[in-house]
Amino acid sequence: MTVALAMHDGLDRPPVKATGTAVRIAGVSHSFDKGDHKKPVLSHVDLTLKHGELVILTGPSGAGKTTLLTLVGTLRKLQAGSIEVLGTELLGLSARRQRQIRRRIGFIFQDHNLFDALTVFQTLKLASELADRRPGRSEMLDRAVEILSALGMEEYLHRRPGQLSTGQKQRVAIARALINQPKLILADEPTASLDLKASNAVIDLIKQRIKGQQASALMVTHDHRIFSVADRVVHMIDGQIAGQSFGFP
Amino acid sequence: MMTSPGLGIRLLAFNPARLLAAFAGIAVAVVIMFVELGLLVGVLDSQAIMADLVRGDLVMMSRGRTNLHKFNDFDRIRLSQIAGLSGVGEIIPIYQGTAGLESPEDEVIRRIMVVSFPAGHTPLAIGDEDEIARQLATPRTILYDRRSRPIFGNIVVGEDVELDGALYRVGGFVDIGPDIVNDGAVVMSEGAWLMRRPNARPIMGVIRLLAGADVAQVRERIVAALPDDVSVLTPVEVRDREVAFTLSSAPIGVLFGIGMLAGLIIGAITCYQILFNEIVDRMKQYAMLKAMGFSDAFLRRVILAQAVLLSCGGFVLGLGLAYSVYAYIAKETALAVQLSLTSGGIIFALAAGMSIAAGLLAVRRVRIADPAELY
Ligand SMILES: Nc1ncnc2c1ncn2[C@@H]1O[C@H](COP(=O)(O)OP(=O)(O)O)[C@@H](O)[C@H]1O
Ligand SMILES: [Mg+2]
Repeated sequence: MTVALAMHDGLDRPPVKATGTAVRIAGVSHSFDKGDHKKPVLSHVDLTLKHGELVILTGPSGAGKTTLLTLVGTLRKLQAGSIEVLGTELLGLSARRQRQIRRRIGFIFQDHNLFDALTVFQTLKLASELADRRPGRSEMLDRAVEILSALGMEEYLHRRPGQLSTGQKQRVAIARALINQPKLILADEPTASLDLKASNAVIDLIKQRIKGQQASALMVTHDHRIFSVADRVVHMIDGQIAGQSFGFP
Repeated sequence: MMTSPGLGIRLLAFNPARLLAAFAGIAVAVVIMFVELGLLVGVLDSQAIMADLVRGDLVMMSRGRTNLHKFNDFDRIRLSQIAGLSGVGEIIPIYQGTAGLESPEDEVIRRIMVVSFPAGHTPLAIGDEDEIARQLATPRTILYDRRSRPIFGNIVVGEDVELDGALYRVGGFVDIGPDIVNDGAVVMSEGAWLMRRPNARPIMGVIRLLAGADVAQVRERIVAALPDDVSVLTPVEVRDREVAFTLSSAPIGVLFGIGMLAGLIIGAITCYQILFNEIVDRMKQYAMLKAMGFSDAFLRRVILAQAVLLSCGGFVLGLGLAYSVYAYIAKETALAVQLSLTSGGIIFALAAGMSIAAGLLAVRRVRIADPAELY
């Protein structure tokens, strides 16, 4: 389905075509240099994410899930095949276009990677510098409180990472990833350091963002508790898509 | 809005103890540079002191006296020859020589510079004119340079000192200041000096012009009226010539230049180390910023803001320390070392330059932060 509608956000970005697909991965292979020989990690991976879809990527360790995620996130150079993210082909991407795409992606890593010097609010404000339209201070405060409330973290607005637990820090990192309302969320084990209640809050928030804003998410997880919220669960083994399951209750 | 400098400064300020240690490290380099520059300027100033002290519009000296530490004198007639020229007001001869001053403490005789000029016509800015005139008009009275190095012992006003075997009363103090060659000075009247050295010839003639006279024109007239065994310069020209001479004749420029360079290198290395450690400690966070879509230019600004903060903090701390060190050097060497706006500006520019250079080097570290390693 191709919608003949060009969305323009009014800033310096070229219009993004709404193709109905958020991510289209076609024939992607990847290998790492291991001294004098190459170690193949992905071979001929095909995968498509529609707008509004939450896809979980699972499979044994070493299957290549993380590598695939870094390729989609433009964090790694594409070697073979084609990936289209939010309407842009990643092969031969300029540094400038790469930054523009990264800004529309909410990255959630296993580690929180927070600056110990910045309060939760400062962290979110720094992230919001990258938004198409930078919010003013009071709007910023509203947004921060809103997103932190959804994660049960509103009291920690002015705390620094040193005063937070691991799970709380992870939730701050998730808030940072979502503050600019990204069109695509890429998450690697986002709930690994969270208890069930916090996990559910995080998943609910992601789910709500996806529904509300026509965003989509690709999430690597082994956490069977959250398989149920996914639209699809894709299984990867040895660098290949081994199969997918739909319609979890 | 949090800008890149804001982020850089917040990151540095988060660990105040580390920041303070960083400031101290850079302050050391700043102090080294201040001391080297201060000594250089101090030596140059001290060597040119006579030019700075001249109270007049033009200075006549023997043509052979190519620097102030050459004691070529000239015929007194030359001063009389220009007395009638239009525009010329007062002409005051200065004599300079040395004598042995016996220390009232250890009775050792040490060479001291003797400066003399006619009582009542003080051609040098070395103290209160009337008081100097009054003292020099008193027979066998000298004035002692209070900035002489302390080797001459405790010279007391009102008491007698022995100068080349003759007794003189110390009538008061003047301010001249020692240089590399001379440790101290006394001032006596022209009459008193000629009594000791009947054949003495002036070493300098200070010429004061009449009000409204044009310096360049009068100088032309003077030069035209005299044979070329003397030269006529403005005090500023004498000073400039002296500084140039000192720099070219002695390797002090090179010597202090190397000292400054050492300070600069120490500072740059210190600054680089601090920035490097800051970056290495936050490699994952910087990689995260890249993943989020911040540009390399943003990260570069973060690091450069830190470099500027380090140089400013280090400079302020170093300036404070240099103030004390200067006071100590001035006391110990009696050289004219002092903080000036110019030297402060030079050192600040050097400190900022060295920090920014270190920052640019450190930026290469942050460039290799790889967001692909974050997942
Ligand atoms: N930067 C790298 N350099 C070399 N080999 C790597 C690198 N990253 C991952 N690999 C290898 O690629 C394979 C797939 O890794 P990864 O994508 O992390 O799998 P998963 O996330 O499914 O556990 C593993 O064998 C891993 O050792
Ligand atoms: Mg992985």
